[in-house]
Amino acid sequence: MTAEPLYRVRDLRKSYRVGEVTTSALSGVDLDVAAGEFTAVAGPSGSGKSTLLHLMGVLDHGDAGEVWLRGERIDRLPRGAAARLRLARIGFVFQAYNLIPVLSALENAAFVLELRGEDRAAREAKARDALARLDMAAYADRRPNQLSGGQRQRVAIARAIAADPAIVLADEPTANLDSRAGADLIDLMRRLNEEEDVTFVFSTHDPRLLDRVDRIVRLEDGRVVDDGTDATDAPASQATP
Amino acid sequence: MPLVIALAWRNLWRQRRRSLVTAGAVGLVVLLSVAYFALGGAAENGLYQTLTERGGHVIVTAPGADDATRFEATLVEDADAAIATVRREADATLAAPLVLPTLDVPALLSGERRSRGVAIHGQPWPDPARERRLDDATLEGRFLEGDDEIVLGAALARALDVAIGDEVVAYAPGGAGYGVAAYALVGTVDLADPGAEIAAAWTTLAATQQLAAPGAVQRIEVHGTSLRRIADDDVSAALAATLGAALPDLRVEDWRTANPSTQQLLNALDPLLFAVSVLFFVLAGLLMLNTVYLSVMERIHEFGVLHALGAGDRRVLAMVATESVLLAVVGAAVGTAGGLAFVAAYADGFRIPGLASYYASFGLDPVFYLSIDPGQVAFAVGFAVLTAVLAAAWPATIAARIEPVEAMRFQA
Repeated sequence: MTAEPLYRVRDLRKSYRVGEVTTSALSGVDLDVAAGEFTAVAGPSGSGKSTLLHLMGVLDHGDAGEVWLRGERIDRLPRGAAARLRLARIGFVFQAYNLIPVLSALENAAFVLELRGEDRAAREAKARDALARLDMAAYADRRPNQLSGGQRQRVAIARAIAADPAIVLADEPTANLDSRAGADLIDLMRRLNEEEDVTFVFSTHDPRLLDRVDRIVRLEDGRVVDDGTDATDAPASQATP
Repeated sequence: MPLVIALAWRNLWRQRRRSLVTAGAVGLVVLLSVAYFALGGAAENGLYQTLTERGGHVIVTAPGADDATRFEATLVEDADAAIATVRREADATLAAPLVLPTLDVPALLSGERRSRGVAIHGQPWPDPARERRLDDATLEGRFLEGDDEIVLGAALARALDVAIGDEVVAYAPGGAGYGVAAYALVGTVDLADPGAEIAAAWTTLAATQQLAAPGAVQRIEVHGTSLRRIADDDVSAALAATLGAALPDLRVEDWRTANPSTQQLLNALDPLLFAVSVLFFVLAGLLMLNTVYLSVMERIHEFGVLHALGAGDRRVLAMVATESVLLAVVGAAVGTAGGLAFVAAYADGFRIPGLASYYASFGLDPVFYLSIDPGQVAFAVGFAVLTAVLAAAWPATIAARIEPVEAMRFQA
């Protein structure tokens, strides 16, 4: 880990209020992520994995604490600045793929570049390259409804990496895939991490995927209970299918 | 095609039926607006034609003739020089102009047993325009062929108890003419307006001059016989100005200044047309609002994703507005094409069934000429687009202001 981590999270707290009931999602999370890491955030449902990724991705604001990205504090950015930061530096992969249904795989992969205002030739070249890196070049013209779940998620990853972000945050990217497709996807992400130095932080509740990562950050009840590399350390409660 | 436009276009096809209905409604409103403007133009042109056919495009009179109480004060004396000047300038300005000097003489017309006071209208004959109107108004007998003939309104002929072939005597003492003349009645005309029919008497200009004012006329009318539409008439005012300079001792007016109340009516007509058209667009706008709103609510999750990927509020706003504007542009294109085809089909004139004979009975031209100017088409299209933008404003604001995490939890 370098002296200045890519991400620095300090005492991050977030609670949700539903009616009269307040539920704490994060209760003081500390986390550093270095560039080039391949990190899994593991934990059972409701442990705060998605909330942590949302706050790291400035999709939401915490109640307290700090989030720093490359030395810039980002947890209190106003709405417009947060959107610009996401566009410029953060790639997202979602559990439900969240591809735009009326766009082809190529157009989906190019969409963030379009939002950035890149010209057509440049964004197509980058999007084709990203699809090729995900072994999806042959499916460039297909729309999401013509692709399998695993293929859709690859297109989502291509969309995230085509814009060359500082980090890719993936929220349960394998949750909608069968175990084989899920493992293949994680292997692909791992390959991108190793060969192209793409930094990944992804959440999962599937312990079978954890032996493929460098680092496992375990969350329970909104707290980091373990931050290490050994997948076999997983408490029984984390082996939730 | 930019990806955002392609995205907007494809999104419209996700709810094909709804989009088609909405685009169709916009198209219908644009078509109706174009047709409505064109019919308004036809009405304006009809008014223009009636006015100019009856009174001329440019009118030369004696100064103060309108307010004169004495017949002599209404006269343009020694009119030949003025007529020649008018004819020369009209020939230089208009295609196939008709220069028509007229003289109306107040006189007592007498048959063998009865008399009645009228104004005998004297003008050169033949006059194709007026003959056609009189023909439409049911002429019995024939038109004038000599200076010793007269045509009367049928009611006037009955009042004088004269028939075709009878002699009618006119008394107009006190002027420079003979003051008395006898004419042979050669025709009678049925007019729809009984008041006009009982006062109508036509003879030649030479006859009325001989009767009351040798060498004089009251009006010199210039008719641009090729001018059918107001929009084509950019020459009347110019000709009036030229003649005004050439005939400084006379009053020269174009048809607008000679008919100020008509000018006021025409000025009021355009705003009225626009106001009604705006009502059409308000209805179309409500339909568009419904369509865009439903479209946004069904895709809240997607808009959340767009925000998450880094699309700013204004970008999302623009995406929704683009969809709405595309819908309007497609509808407006179809509507404009349909509207212009309708205008083109009837630009050369049409008669409204049942109304043609009614119009003709009043001596009005029963043929309407559809007419629309590019500004009105631009208004219809521009207003369709503006309506689309306004209709999209609220739903687009919803899409632009949603919180990405909240929106991504939402499933339509």
